[in-house]
Amino acid sequence: MWEGIAAGLATALDPANLLWVAAGCCAGTLIGMLPGLGPITAIALMIPVSYTMEPAAGLIMMAGVYYGAVFGGSTSSILINAPGVASTVATSFDGYPMARSGEAGRALAIAAYASFAGGTIGAVALLLFAGILASWATAFQSPEYTLILIFALSSIAAFAERGRVAKSCVAALLGLMLGTVGTDQSAGVQRFTFGRLDLMDGISFILLAMAVFALAEAFHMLTTTERADPYRPTTSIRLAKGDARAITPTVGRNSALGFLVGVLPGAGATLASFFAYEFEKRFNRNPACGIAAPESANNAACTGSFVPLLTLGIPGSGTTAVLLGVMLSLGIQPGPRLLETDPAVFWGVIVSMYVGNLVLLALNLPLIPYISRLIQVSRPVLIPFVVAFSLVGVYLTTSNVFDLYLMLAFGIAALALRWAGFPLAPLLLGFILSGMLEENLRRTLYLADGSLTMLLHRPTVVVLAIACVAIWLAPAIRWWQNRARAGARL
Amino acid sequence: MTRRLVPLALLVVAGVYLWSAARIELDPWSADELVNARALPLFCGSLLALFAAGMLLRGVSPGDAARRYKPLVTMSACIVAFAVLIPGAGLWPSLALFLCASLALLGERRPLVLVAAPVATAIIGWMLIEVALDVYIHPGDWWS
Repeated sequence: MWEGIAAGLATALDPANLLWVAAGCCAGTLIGMLPGLGPITAIALMIPVSYTMEPAAGLIMMAGVYYGAVFGGSTSSILINAPGVASTVATSFDGYPMARSGEAGRALAIAAYASFAGGTIGAVALLLFAGILASWATAFQSPEYTLILIFALSSIAAFAERGRVAKSCVAALLGLMLGTVGTDQSAGVQRFTFGRLDLMDGISFILLAMAVFALAEAFHMLTTTERADPYRPTTSIRLAKGDARAITPTVGRNSALGFLVGVLPGAGATLASFFAYEFEKRFNRNPACGIAAPESANNAACTGSFVPLLTLGIPGSGTTAVLLGVMLSLGIQPGPRLLETDPAVFWGVIVSMYVGNLVLLALNLPLIPYISRLIQVSRPVLIPFVVAFSLVGVYLTTSNVFDLYLMLAFGIAALALRWAGFPLAPLLLGFILSGMLEENLRRTLYLADGSLTMLLHRPTVVVLAIACVAIWLAPAIRWWQNRARAGARL
Repeated sequence: MTRRLVPLALLVVAGVYLWSAARIELDPWSADELVNARALPLFCGSLLALFAAGMLLRGVSPGDAARRYKPLVTMSACIVAFAVLIPGAGLWPSLALFLCASLALLGERRPLVLVAAPVATAIIGWMLIEVALDVYIHPGDWWS
């Protein structure tokens, strides 16, 4: 293994490859900052460039593009509440309020450090445990996935703010319902399309994310009667006193969590970032940790998603599916034999991920003061640009004008929900998990042949089921504790 | 009344959703299955109806009442106009017009911001998306 790592280091530290990874990071960051253009699009757009390169260099550049695009998505999430990709939605929950309160530079710096640490921990874990994790990931089948998804949805109720449990559940239900619009994947029947061809493919994630976050935020700013321009922008990238100490354990535990979730095929960075945010907020109200948790988790999950790709040849996410295509077109056959046939490529890609993180940090930190000036723009100027940015992002992904009308309707509905105190994050989580939940539930029932007793023979399923029950009991326990405390005070 | 407006709307949404879910056509094979195309929608719709009914009885907080609706209406009108313009004028000219109109409606009067910024944004967008990234976007019926 050490010989392989040495070969990988030599490949990754080759000056030409270093340049390619830097170019990939830059291109990825720029593309990722545009709403609607996430890591998948970024990698797809760079495919023609990779054709002209050596296989190792091509793949190394693509790893840089991947990381850059994820980081670029975080930047637009923090600065203008416009998460271009699902995995950066959780970053906007604490990042955007921090940017609005005049700490854009600090929020971006925390995101950059957490991303770097998450990516680094992920790369080290990949280096050490790739083989073991690959066999663990393949043992996860539909029953385990179903329970994981139910657990993710259940955590909405457990981790909702006090007095907002019912509202969080309603928001998640609305998300699940919106996720059922379109052609049913298994039976092929139309659901809730009302005869419109535009709805046959369902509602796109980017449309809903832009409507619920960017558009609703712009509308909220338009309608509030407070004096314009509440921003007190600071562009300093210096962390506040105590930030480093506060985020270090957050980054450590959420990088590990993100990496493990990323290894599971189909789970990916989105689930990892939501999980990380929800768990972190349960124990920690510090907004710096609210940014560090999803950022470290999504970057570690990106690295984790390379485990099934490199060791089994199975793409665990949409992005790694595109990467698999790139690998095949470069003449690289990923799978168990890659380590024997192309050790320089295998280890080179893994080491490059670490180098890519380093390059990303070195490139982005000096740029943060300039990027964060974006929110210094006054409100009457900023709002039209945020709206335009979101509309163009949605139109670029579908080229369908109907989606713009749909986005407007969702934006107004989201504003009404926001005014009534409904949290909007569970809506997006429900939407993302809807299709996965339905598909895995059906597969589970096929596997079980209608009888659920076979599930009791799967230890992971039993553990996850117990965790789900425990998580539903959490609000009740909290209520009972509060009542007991109130009683003690009297 | 405002305390019950959102729960009432949610109840209507749940009702329409359940009605549509019950009309999803199933083939004879999946009709007997426990989880078919109707199962998740019926489950979610019923739960939403229950939650909405509970909220309707208790009412929800209407939040801060002091709001201006006129800018919301004008911005919505600008978005509709932008969507109407795209098929004819194309994405980038429509974007420039949308930005110019919405900036003017929000009270911006500086010529450099009102005209130059929207035009520059549209040109940069076109160069980045169509020229640099080579993404094809229909130029608009009026120009093709």
